[in-house]
Amino acid sequence: MICWSRLRSWLRATHHRSRMESEMDAELRFHIEALAADLVRSGVSRQEALRRARLEFGAIERVKEEGREARGISFVDEMMQDLHYGQRVLSKSPGFAVVAVLTLALGIGATTAIFSVVNAVLMRPLAMEDPSRVVYLQEQWRDLFPGVSVGNFADLKRQSTSFAKLCASNNASFNLEARELPERVDGEIATADYFATFGVQPIAGRFFTVDEDKPGQARVVVISERLWRTRLRADPSVVGQPIRINGMPATVVGVMPKSFDPLLGNSDLWIPAAYTAEQLADHDDHYLNVVGRLKANVSLAQAQSELNVIAQRLQQQYPLDDQDRGFRLQPLATALLGDQRLGLRMMLAAVGFLLLIACANIANLQLTRSRSRQKEIAMRAALGASPRRIVRQLLAENLVLGLVGGVVGVLLAYWALSWIMAHGPAEMPRLDQSRIDASTLAFACAVALFSSFFFGLAPALRSASTRLNEVFKMGSSTSGGTRDRVRSLLVVLEVSLALILMVGAGLLVRSALLVSHVDPGFDTSNVVVGRVGLPDPGYHDPAVARQTFERMITVAAALPGVESAAVVSRAPLAGGGSSNGLLAEDQGLDLSNLVNSQLQIISPSYLSTARVPLKAGRDFTPQDRRDRTLVAIVNETLARTIWPGENPIGKRFACCEAGPKGRMDPVWHEVVGVVADVRAWGLDHQVQPEFYIPIAQMPPSAWDWIGRTMDLVVRTGGGVVPVHELQSVVASVAPAVPIYRLSTMQQKISSTLERSHFDTFLLAIFATTALLLSSVGIYGVLSNIVTQRTRDIGIRMALGASQAQIAWDVLGFGMRLASIGLVLGLVGALAATRLLSSLLYRVRPTDTITFTAVSVILLVVALMASYLPARRATRVDPMVALRYE
Amino acid sequence: MGKQLDLLQGTLDMLILKAVSLGPLHGYGILLRIQQISKDRLEIQQGSLYPALYRLEHLGWITSEWGESENKRKAKYYRLTAAGKRRLQAETQNWNSMADVIAGILGTKPEEV
Repeated sequence: MICWSRLRSWLRATHHRSRMESEMDAELRFHIEALAADLVRSGVSRQEALRRARLEFGAIERVKEEGREARGISFVDEMMQDLHYGQRVLSKSPGFAVVAVLTLALGIGATTAIFSVVNAVLMRPLAMEDPSRVVYLQEQWRDLFPGVSVGNFADLKRQSTSFAKLCASNNASFNLEARELPERVDGEIATADYFATFGVQPIAGRFFTVDEDKPGQARVVVISERLWRTRLRADPSVVGQPIRINGMPATVVGVMPKSFDPLLGNSDLWIPAAYTAEQLADHDDHYLNVVGRLKANVSLAQAQSELNVIAQRLQQQYPLDDQDRGFRLQPLATALLGDQRLGLRMMLAAVGFLLLIACANIANLQLTRSRSRQKEIAMRAALGASPRRIVRQLLAENLVLGLVGGVVGVLLAYWALSWIMAHGPAEMPRLDQSRIDASTLAFACAVALFSSFFFGLAPALRSASTRLNEVFKMGSSTSGGTRDRVRSLLVVLEVSLALILMVGAGLLVRSALLVSHVDPGFDTSNVVVGRVGLPDPGYHDPAVARQTFERMITVAAALPGVESAAVVSRAPLAGGGSSNGLLAEDQGLDLSNLVNSQLQIISPSYLSTARVPLKAGRDFTPQDRRDRTLVAIVNETLARTIWPGENPIGKRFACCEAGPKGRMDPVWHEVVGVVADVRAWGLDHQVQPEFYIPIAQMPPSAWDWIGRTMDLVVRTGGGVVPVHELQSVVASVAPAVPIYRLSTMQQKISSTLERSHFDTFLLAIFATTALLLSSVGIYGVLSNIVTQRTRDIGIRMALGASQAQIAWDVLGFGMRLASIGLVLGLVGALAATRLLSSLLYRVRPTDTITFTAVSVILLVVALMASYLPARRATRVDPMVALRYE
Repeated sequence: MGKQLDLLQGTLDMLILKAVSLGPLHGYGILLRIQQISKDRLEIQQGSLYPALYRLEHLGWITSEWGESENKRKAKYYRLTAAGKRRLQAETQNWNSMADVIAGILGTKPEEV
């Protein structure tokens, strides 16, 4: 309110106003002096002349006031008057004003905070030239969408005509040595037109050229602004300088701007792909991110149909690799951000509901007040205010509420947004770019205006249509029938919206509870995991790489407090993985029998270290070397998939490599054990078929697939996590090689659940708030009705109605409102929660338990909200009530 | 100098428009000119001139700018606008026909009814 009066006085003192005043002053003074001068000329003394001139002129202040009025009160002035009046009215009922402002601020604040996240994550265009023409290309095989093989990419690039540019990259991480300690940084191995495809210019230097993107060239690297700033101390002469990547020297040729992260992978450096002839002929490894820029006259559908034609050609050309293989094209924004849409839209809908409930509550309060203000308004009408003016004035009052609520709401949004950014899921791309900026403020402003209109219009129209004589004739006992109907309707609306929110939150909570009871398939306590990547130059020889990891295991296992240590190509929940096609020996060597399965390369100690229960057969031993029978252990899902109902031990399957007689010469692996399913992709994800092979038997080429990178897994006795010790273990065995993503298994699990917990938490808060607000709504309507009908109640009691009957009437009315809202809400919830199904784990969107529980909670709260007014009704003293007015 | 007449309600605007139609004038000058043309037979309350001036200016019939008076003082001069000119014509016509009608009514003798 203080702010408001300051604003007003500032407006009043505007330049225009004050100039007008001083001009008027000068003009009137001129008149009086001219008149006096004429009188002097006719022989009067100067002093007498001035006196007579003033007398003849008349009261100068009245002239000025009339002059101001004559200039016409402008629309702005009138509005300022209305706003001023509204502010005065509100400051006279501070209780109402505070409740209304806080309710509204809650709605606006929540809506604005979520909107700024949605704006940053989904709505802001990707930071590149004309992002709408940039498309993401994947292969399609059965129901999987893997990356593109280098061979297929090369053929696509040659044959397609739809793209102005087509580039490929794959994510990789690198050991970077630049000035300080070696560090693992994420980056991409990209083709030369990668940068041109996105159309972004470097802030220093240049991209790599087509010539540099050929095998055998001196290594060049383009780095991110972040890497340049944090690791190279923002050295202005960085271009042309050497750094060491994976132990090899490379020259920095360019620095990309801060905003450049086209695939949202937090890439810090890019090196040329320089595919070798061998890679270009490989149609079997599907791992490339392919991005294209459509030509100006080509639509997505046209490009897709061209790809379909090329896919058919490739299927004939490479029947072994490309059988059943197609291509899928998507807008890049969809590919990168599509996963975020559902959750964020759900949040936006939830806060929208919350805002509507808040508005309905304020409208209800206003309707209550408008009753007690009827006389004031009738008086204004009697004094000549037109209905339009009264509506405008009441709307202005609501506008004041809306604006103050908006300001407080934005403050609330600031706070909420910083909380969201601190606790929000790390995996959500661009979340860190959320901020309260011009567009968010404009949104908050629009929301405030919309809300004040929404909650102000009904009461204002109602007041303006009040007939004078009715008001003055009427005592306060007769109940305004239509007013109650509008209010009841608002309460029903609130209850039904709250119920929808509660059902949504209830489903998510139930799903989260179920997930928390999922067995991860191994013992997650006291396990520490970190990732180690050996650089190609020093560790190219498979034997050297294997021995290095084996030495790491030995040294780590000898650490005090460590029970055992092991390596695995991808620890559970580490993300990513290597998918392979298996062919079972007893089912015929036909590609249509191919079963897709995750491959894990493990040291013999892994299953016992992670405590993955062995269900049948035996574990690996150090004797399972490449000169012995090749063996494998499968998980239960894979066993069930290939050999349903049979004992898999002793069965053989082909995979992973080809024998000396060519591609279809099978290399058999014998199943020696079956282990429990491990939830490798997260507790709420389905288990994939998975098999394990020992590190000593892995095909030499597999070192290239896994990038010589493995997860070091250590089980401790429960003591302090030996993070620093593990770093020095790795450094002592492989100098200048860092260990990264080092954390406990429990941390990894909670980080995969971060997103769903976050959604659940927020939605639960919104639902609780909605429930509270709507119970306040029920309470407000009922207690108002009781007040209005005090005399009716008194008469009924005088005529012999029992207290219980009176109480039942009030309770019954409250419960009727709640039940109607409940039914409407249930219908709405059935329609709405279907959209949630992909966020739910083992809970159907129509889950009976949730629907029942939520309905019961709502009815109990409604009952409590109705109880107080009902009790008050029973306390009515008939004598007092009858004398009441 | 004959008897002074009170100004008829609503006629001041017309007189001001007429006065400034003869050339730009400041407020005091307008007053003098009306008195001069009416041969001092109209009594105008000095102060009441200004609200009327501001109203006419607000309506866009006259416009003002600061200039120098005969005795080198700063004064605000009013001028008729195009809209004001039209207004004056309409008012004059209206007044004349109204005056005819009124005069006709007032001049009616009993035998004419």
